[in-house]
Amino acid sequence: MEKLAFGPNGWGDEMLLAMLMTLAVSVCSLLLGTVIGTLLAWVKLSGPRVLRWLANGYTTLIRGVPELLIIYLLFFGGNGAVMFVASIFGHEGYIEVPAFAIGVVAVGLISGAYSTEVIRGAVQAVSKGQLEAAHAIGMPRMTLFSRVLVPQTARLALPGMGNVWQLTLKDTALISVTGLVELMRQAYVASGSERSPFLFYSTAAVLFLVLTSLSERGFVRAERWANRGASRT
Amino acid sequence: MFKKTLWLSLALALGMVLTAQAKEWKTVRIGTEGAYPPWNATDANGNLVGAEIDLGRELCKRMQVECTFVAQDWDGIIPALQQGKYDAIIAGMSITPERQEVINFSQGYMTDGASFITAKGSDLDSSSFPEKINLDRMSANEKAAIDRLVEVLDGKTIGVQSATIHANFVEKYLTGSTMRTYQTQDDLNLDMASGRIDAALADTGAFEEFLESDSGQSLTFAGPRMSGDVFGAGVGIGLRKSDTDLLGLFNKAIDSVRADGTLSRISNQWFGKDISM
Repeated sequence: MEKLAFGPNGWGDEMLLAMLMTLAVSVCSLLLGTVIGTLLAWVKLSGPRVLRWLANGYTTLIRGVPELLIIYLLFFGGNGAVMFVASIFGHEGYIEVPAFAIGVVAVGLISGAYSTEVIRGAVQAVSKGQLEAAHAIGMPRMTLFSRVLVPQTARLALPGMGNVWQLTLKDTALISVTGLVELMRQAYVASGSERSPFLFYSTAAVLFLVLTSLSERGFVRAERWANRGASRT
Repeated sequence: MFKKTLWLSLALALGMVLTAQAKEWKTVRIGTEGAYPPWNATDANGNLVGAEIDLGRELCKRMQVECTFVAQDWDGIIPALQQGKYDAIIAGMSITPERQEVINFSQGYMTDGASFITAKGSDLDSSSFPEKINLDRMSANEKAAIDRLVEVLDGKTIGVQSATIHANFVEKYLTGSTMRTYQTQDDLNLDMASGRIDAALADTGAFEEFLESDSGQSLTFAGPRMSGDVFGAGVGIGLRKSDTDLLGLFNKAIDSVRADGTLSRISNQWFGKDISM
């Protein structure tokens, strides 16, 4: 147990910091994913045909290949692409794209593909009659959007987004391959260095569970709040 | 059109200037895993520690370059080198033909090596040999020692595990000896203990525990600890194929730490024994 102590001789503080890093990557990825999801849901529902094809291609591709593969592609390919572009402008040598940024983009792209479908479903679930009623009373488009569509879409998307959040949180474990010190990488380094894998991997499991169970409760509360005006059966 | 050409040539010229500067090697970034003690590990403060961290710092001091260590997951350790995230891998990486297809290696600096065990007081035990011999790089003295080894073991029965580098060694060097092969290390140890064979050859580490056990009490390590040639080139520093100048620098620095005993000292400090080569 003293291996998990806080301070210079234990790994407690390192593990906790790594958990915060996992949380930071997850939150940023989910935000990026939600932005991507909202835009692509709009494109899929009412965008031009070419964009719709692209959006369909994106969700099919990302949801159809392993997450680890996407992360490898971005980590090794992404850095190479940045350096290639820089070399066109005459810059030779290595350019470090921060592992944090690559991780957020990779996990955000994955999370975005799933969010797209969740948000698209939620938009379609908003009762058509309400939109027609809004049109009938001459409500301006923006007001219709912000007063009728968005609040109800948000309410309907919340349970699905809770699922996406949990997936996103766990996907961050995969970016340990980039060397970013998040929970999984820290557990690996500590277990290797101290030669006690069971202790450190179970600690990581507990810390992941803390994150997921706390956020689950948060989502339950948010759902209750969002549903406060909806009819109960 | 003219403008475009002008810009392109400017870019090219700038690129060349920058590359030329980069080749002077004022700083070297070293990639390591940081989770493989005692080679390289991380302490509870997040600092990298281990034999290879000490070795890397010492090599850089002698190369007169500034060094920084970068921790990288083992799975991506070679691709990240090729991308340029760091310039060298010092991470307990064995030199293998597969890896040599994609990266260069410095000369080996450490390996457990292969050793003979024999009954205490046998001919092999009573003749004296250098402590270690790298078959790829033998002095006249060490060549003579190998000849003496061949002579001492002439007509003797040597036990090895079948289809191993140790069997290859007996076939290649000890042509005058009889080779007996075993399926497992345990079988080999048992026949050695019962005296059915005169000597056994295997990885040094594979014998250590056996010699400590009850049945190993009458036995002892004998002859030199061997590396190189059929035994493999050991653990080396991985470098990009293009950085041949850096390869030269590292090889020279390894020669220097070997010659003054620093390499053995680092090995003894971290492994409790000398596994330098």
